[in-house]
Amino acid sequence: MRTAAALVVLAALGLPALAFDLTALAALLAERKSAETRFTEERTVSGLDGPLRSSGTLSFSAPDRFARHTLEPRAESMVVEGNTVSIRRGGRTRQMALDAVPELTALIAAVRGTLTGDAAALQQHFRVQVEGNAALWTMTLVPRDDRLAAQVRQLQIVGQRGELRTLELSLAGSDRSLMIIEPLPPALPGSRPQAPAAAPR
Amino acid sequence: MSSSTLPPRRRIAVLLCWLALVLAAGWQISRTTFTADLSAFLPSDPDPQQRVLIEQLGSGVPARTLLIGIDGADAKVRADASRALAAKMRDSGLFEQVHNGERSDWADVGAWLVEHRYPLSPAVDAQRFTVAGLRDAIEETLSLLGTPAGHLLKPLLERDPTGETQRIAESLIPSNAPRSEAGVWASRQGARALLVASTRAAGSDLDAQSAALDQVRAAFAAVAPPGLDLKISGAPVFAVDSRAQIESEVRWLAIAGAVGVSTLLLLAFASLPALGAALLPVATGVLAGITAVSLGFGGVHGITLGFGATLIGEAVDYAIYFLIQSRRAGWRAWLRSGWPTVRLGLLTSMCGFGALIFSGFPGLAQLGLFTVSGLLGAALATRFVMPVLLPEGSRGQGLRRQLGRLGQAAVERLPALRWPLLALGVAAAALLAARGDLWRAELGSLSPISAEALALDASLRADLSAGDARSLVVVQAADIEGTLQRAEAVTARLDPLIDSGAIGGWDSVTRFLPSLARQRERLSHLPPAAPLRAALAEATRDGPLRAERLEPFIEEVQRARERSPITLASLQGTALAPLVDALLLRRADGTWVALLPLQPIAGDQVDGAAVAQALQGLPGTQLLEIGRALAELYERYLGEAQVQALLGALGVVAVMALALRSWRRLLAVCQPLLLAVLLTMGTLALLKVHLGILHLVGLLLVVAVGSNYALFFDMLQRDGHGDPDTLASLLLANLTTVLSFGLIAMSAIPALSAIGRVVAPGALLALLLSAAFAPRPATVP
Repeated sequence: MRTAAALVVLAALGLPALAFDLTALAALLAERKSAETRFTEERTVSGLDGPLRSSGTLSFSAPDRFARHTLEPRAESMVVEGNTVSIRRGGRTRQMALDAVPELTALIAAVRGTLTGDAAALQQHFRVQVEGNAALWTMTLVPRDDRLAAQVRQLQIVGQRGELRTLELSLAGSDRSLMIIEPLPPALPGSRPQAPAAAPR
Repeated sequence: MSSSTLPPRRRIAVLLCWLALVLAAGWQISRTTFTADLSAFLPSDPDPQQRVLIEQLGSGVPARTLLIGIDGADAKVRADASRALAAKMRDSGLFEQVHNGERSDWADVGAWLVEHRYPLSPAVDAQRFTVAGLRDAIEETLSLLGTPAGHLLKPLLERDPTGETQRIAESLIPSNAPRSEAGVWASRQGARALLVASTRAAGSDLDAQSAALDQVRAAFAAVAPPGLDLKISGAPVFAVDSRAQIESEVRWLAIAGAVGVSTLLLLAFASLPALGAALLPVATGVLAGITAVSLGFGGVHGITLGFGATLIGEAVDYAIYFLIQSRRAGWRAWLRSGWPTVRLGLLTSMCGFGALIFSGFPGLAQLGLFTVSGLLGAALATRFVMPVLLPEGSRGQGLRRQLGRLGQAAVERLPALRWPLLALGVAAAALLAARGDLWRAELGSLSPISAEALALDASLRADLSAGDARSLVVVQAADIEGTLQRAEAVTARLDPLIDSGAIGGWDSVTRFLPSLARQRERLSHLPPAAPLRAALAEATRDGPLRAERLEPFIEEVQRARERSPITLASLQGTALAPLVDALLLRRADGTWVALLPLQPIAGDQVDGAAVAQALQGLPGTQLLEIGRALAELYERYLGEAQVQALLGALGVVAVMALALRSWRRLLAVCQPLLLAVLLTMGTLALLKVHLGILHLVGLLLVVAVGSNYALFFDMLQRDGHGDPDTLASLLLANLTTVLSFGLIAMSAIPALSAIGRVVAPGALLALLLSAAFAPRPATVP
């Protein structure tokens, strides 16, 4: 699996004429089996004086667990595992079935699909466009579902090789959210050594 | 041959009497209602928990809920059909609720919730509208803005910056909801759209349930394009189908039984009048049985009726004994020699089944009464009507001579097998003692639902996950306010269980209709405009949301302070009424019951022990786990039936002891009966059959039928020789019994096949064993 992905990467580097497309990106992304990152998010909402800021951690482990822990300004969390979403806000925990809410299904597919390099899942819910090269790429996701499109105009993810750098969400109206993602030092035993670029603070 | 007949006037009087009774019975039966639900098998004098269970099973939401699947074609086509079907069902007025996952379901409810958010929101307390409380609440609301989840909140921001609507909505998200596909509910496994509907009519009103089902099928046929398949399940389907199945099975069994037995009788007697006469006590017995149950219980359960078919097997024996045995010396001689034995057999049978009449479960009591009065009717018809019709028994010869010879050969050879048979009996007893879990069938074994129907039901239930209210907390009090307050006390204790994972969530009417006390308390925390405005200014200082924008909020809080509280009456006619009606019930005695269904966390079960512990000490509150409650009920039911069967068997022995007046003769009669029961049970145990109540009833029947055989052998021994005619009558009676119960053993209704599978082999064994263990006539050299 890893060898195959490496070959694809080598091929991409060695043959600049060959376009860097979703298949190549997916292979790159699929290499990572788990990740722990920090994020800072800045949301711009019309009608509010100034942006809303928050920060916390994101974690992911293949095949289907994804968690977002917001630490500032309020402790909140969302953990998705399989088809179950647990949301904890204000000291209350709620559980729900992911596939009962199609919009949420699509959004989680965008996140999990990107993290696992699941091109099919991405294309099922979004029109996908990939630009750049393995060293710096941009992937733009536009929802296929009308109902989701009424809320989310597009998602744009920028990354370097197998790592995500920013995630920008453009909502209906002029609201938008920009999330900047920074790697955490590898803390979990068994996680792969990071590239030199991923040096801690 | 002496042919002493009754004077013609007495003959006519007897026949007229009989005819009048038959007509009266027919009239009573024509006014009888027949039921097929499990309610007859629930206790008639329930404790409080059972009472709730019975209410739930009879008229509760589970008993009125239809689970509907639309299979085939593609997601879009199925979704369109689902929407069209739901619309037609809603328009029909037959359904209280129809849900298919369309969001518009909630549009009206949403507007109502926003309007009444202050008395409803669990977050409104003394802190909520202080500076710190406002700041915290606004921060929490802002944390959702600028995310996809925020788009629903943003339009409400100026009216509801503290997020009360969000708080209420959050509590309404089910932890287990069906998958949504193309805008409607869909199966997780395959190509199926899903709907849930509850009928307005009570679950016990089978005619109305049947009409509702027809409406669904007709609506589907009208809206669905070809290629789509409708699948319906749920308690109403089972009840309606069971009734139809019982009706058709009973008819089938009655016809097949009558044809089979008639053929045997024709072969044996080669005489049509004899055949007609033999069936007469049977018909009389069945009529008597149904009439007695109808008079005693006001209705007849389908299974009792099905049981009627089994009576053919025993009642026809009386006729056979008469027809064959009175041929030798006429009916007067039979009255002296044969009838006392038949009468004793009848008494023992009545004793055996009489014990069931005192059962606390109407279903079992019905079976007892049916059998006792049916056998009595058949015996009386044999005793009084048969001598009028055929005073000299059957004229025909048929196969009787061969049967008699066969009987004699058996009587001579079988006693040689005594010791091996005894050894088998001991082995069977040892096997039964070794198998502790012999009695393990469930209440479901009484119901005629097929495995396929159960599989469909299970798959629809799994798809719908939240639609199955198998665990619920039941809260009762004398008035509505007390009930609501108790329900609120319960929800306060349930919330920590969500965090600990014991349950996934709960439903309660108090989400829409809090107690007046709770509403007043919440509203008392709403500040007047001026202090609220000041607190808001303070709370939003340095924040991104300016207080000036929040005037609509201040205004709506003021309006909420003035508004009269939500009452049950004010909810009538709103979109919430069906939800409230499903969760809050008024009993006939004026007391109120609130139901709080518990949802398990996904892929798990509700932790009943944790819930029960959390609820400890709350007055008027209990946890009801329908599956477990039914199992417990059945266990009690089985235990009670076992005691009664034992008492019945003791009664049989006591009656025989009184009649025979000899320990030796009593032992000789009981020995084959005991062995027959042991060997039958041993065979069932070997086949790994789980025994239930109807097997027990079958064993009682074996004893009842078998005692006739044993008593006849006792009589033969007294007469000193094996009379071929009596032997022929025994053999023929046994053949008809085995035949009719063999037919029942093949029935698709589990309750009936259970009886058949016990009695058919049991009766045969009883005859063979009676022959094997018959006391040797003293004259044999």
